[in-house]
Amino acid sequence: MDIGELETTAALAQIDLGNGDLERLGEAVSQMLAHFEKMNTVDTEGLEPTTHALVRDNRVRADDVTPSPLADAMIDQAPEREDRFFVIPNVL
Amino acid sequence: MYQTVVGLEVHIHLNTKTKAFCGCRAEFGDEPNTNVCPVCLGYPGVLPVLNQEALVQAYLVAKALRCELSPRTLFDRKNYFYPDMPKNYQITQFHDPVGRNGSVDFLSPDGTVKTVRIHDVHLEEDAGKMIHAGDMSLCDYNRAGYSLLEVVTEPDLTSGEDTEAFLQSFQRLVRYLGVSDGNMEEGSMKCDTNVSIRKAGEPLGTKVEVKNLNSTRFIKKAVEFETKRQATALDGNRTIVQETRLWNENRDVTESMRTKEGSLDYRYFPEPDLPPFVPDKAFLQAIDGRLVELPLARRTRLLTAFQLSKEQADFVTESRFLADFFETATGTGGTGPAAGQAIANWLMGDVQKELNHFGLTLEASPLTATRLAQLQALLDSGRIHIKIAKQLLVAIFEEDKDPERLLKEKGWEAITTEEQLSPILDQVFAQHPAVVEAIRAGDVRQKGYLVGQVMQATGGRATPGLVNSLLAKKL
Repeated sequence: MDIGELETTAALAQIDLGNGDLERLGEAVSQMLAHFEKMNTVDTEGLEPTTHALVRDNRVRADDVTPSPLADAMIDQAPEREDRFFVIPNVL
Repeated sequence: MYQTVVGLEVHIHLNTKTKAFCGCRAEFGDEPNTNVCPVCLGYPGVLPVLNQEALVQAYLVAKALRCELSPRTLFDRKNYFYPDMPKNYQITQFHDPVGRNGSVDFLSPDGTVKTVRIHDVHLEEDAGKMIHAGDMSLCDYNRAGYSLLEVVTEPDLTSGEDTEAFLQSFQRLVRYLGVSDGNMEEGSMKCDTNVSIRKAGEPLGTKVEVKNLNSTRFIKKAVEFETKRQATALDGNRTIVQETRLWNENRDVTESMRTKEGSLDYRYFPEPDLPPFVPDKAFLQAIDGRLVELPLARRTRLLTAFQLSKEQADFVTESRFLADFFETATGTGGTGPAAGQAIANWLMGDVQKELNHFGLTLEASPLTATRLAQLQALLDSGRIHIKIAKQLLVAIFEEDKDPERLLKEKGWEAITTEEQLSPILDQVFAQHPAVVEAIRAGDVRQKGYLVGQVMQATGGRATPGLVNSLLAKKL
């Protein structure tokens, strides 16, 4: 795999890769891609892509409120908070 | 001369009690992060489950917009990293939206009915809200996961005025369907506006996306500003940059927004946690059952049936409640143009005045369609005249009672028989013997004075014709 493409992919996934990582993983990713290429040669003409296994019926829920008892506990987990807000470095 | 081309991406908050994929309350104005759970905060290992009502409303809008309804609708993940979405992806529909290839009509300010094609209608979730202050940002996820419906139009609008009229018409449509309040100021309706220009007959120009538009008036202004800005650029042999611009409402201009390069690769893929939804016959029948006559069709029908003016037709179809009110009060079309005119005039005139005076909406006021119809019937039958009718209307607002009952309690019924009027006349004669004598002696000019006295004694309830004829008889 082209190192430039790997860098873009890593950036999109917010993964910080050092130089050594790029070369090492580049090799592994190339192997994976080669495998995908092999799979691509299989004739799938007329077959619907399988996005979900073992799905039979519609799975929906009624529009009824089920308040979560965990809201407060989840805010308590925040590394930094102000009142009930989660606080992060300014991203604007 | 350039032609303006506008396409819209309209988002509406659906009218559901809970969020799209979890049972958290979908409610504005609550304390930050109270309506949150592990699903909408994107904790690992959780499973989103579709809100059936959101799906119903999504299909309902798609149907009203004459879309091809998806026989098997699917959800996708749109991946992006921004702290307004704790999952790092938004659940949306990319490959199989609920509806595609629709169209909708609207009334242009130039008086013609125009059609806008609909590219697709898809269901997705809203993001959380952030407040940026100093060196930190505060995150509130109450809104994260709200059911949001996006309607994407084809680039069929050709002016700022038409764009504004289309959006107002769309607002009415979603309100009629009961799927959203469509309020732009409160953020329950948002609109990204794509503007390009071209010379007649040429292919589409480079489009610019304008965001941060929270009223239909700003959208009109933004379209007009962009048309001028792009025309100046092309006339100066400069190229239009495809970009996102923000509306600056203080300066009435659009401004370029800096974008991170390469950040727009969303890597859509099917959402593995949500199975496809296949609407069955019962579901589709339920959609049909909730479809209503749309505002434009209703306006046309009422305009013709009651021979209303354009202003009257616009007024009475502004909301479904008002249109229903109007039709109930007029007896659902059976009583013809006269009744329609009368009711429309009441609604636009005195009713509006009293609503303002009492600070009420028609929905919350004591005036029902039946009461207004009764009031008009009293007027039509001659039991009251217009001055008393207006008094009665005020009394309905003040006392919340039926007009018939108020009429009895107040003793406001018109005096229409000689038997009723005769004793009052006798009384006036007795009070003003000199005037009576003068008239009998030939001074007919003083008759007017006596009529005035009778009207005063009856509180204006006597019919002038009857007063004159009985007066002549008694003199």
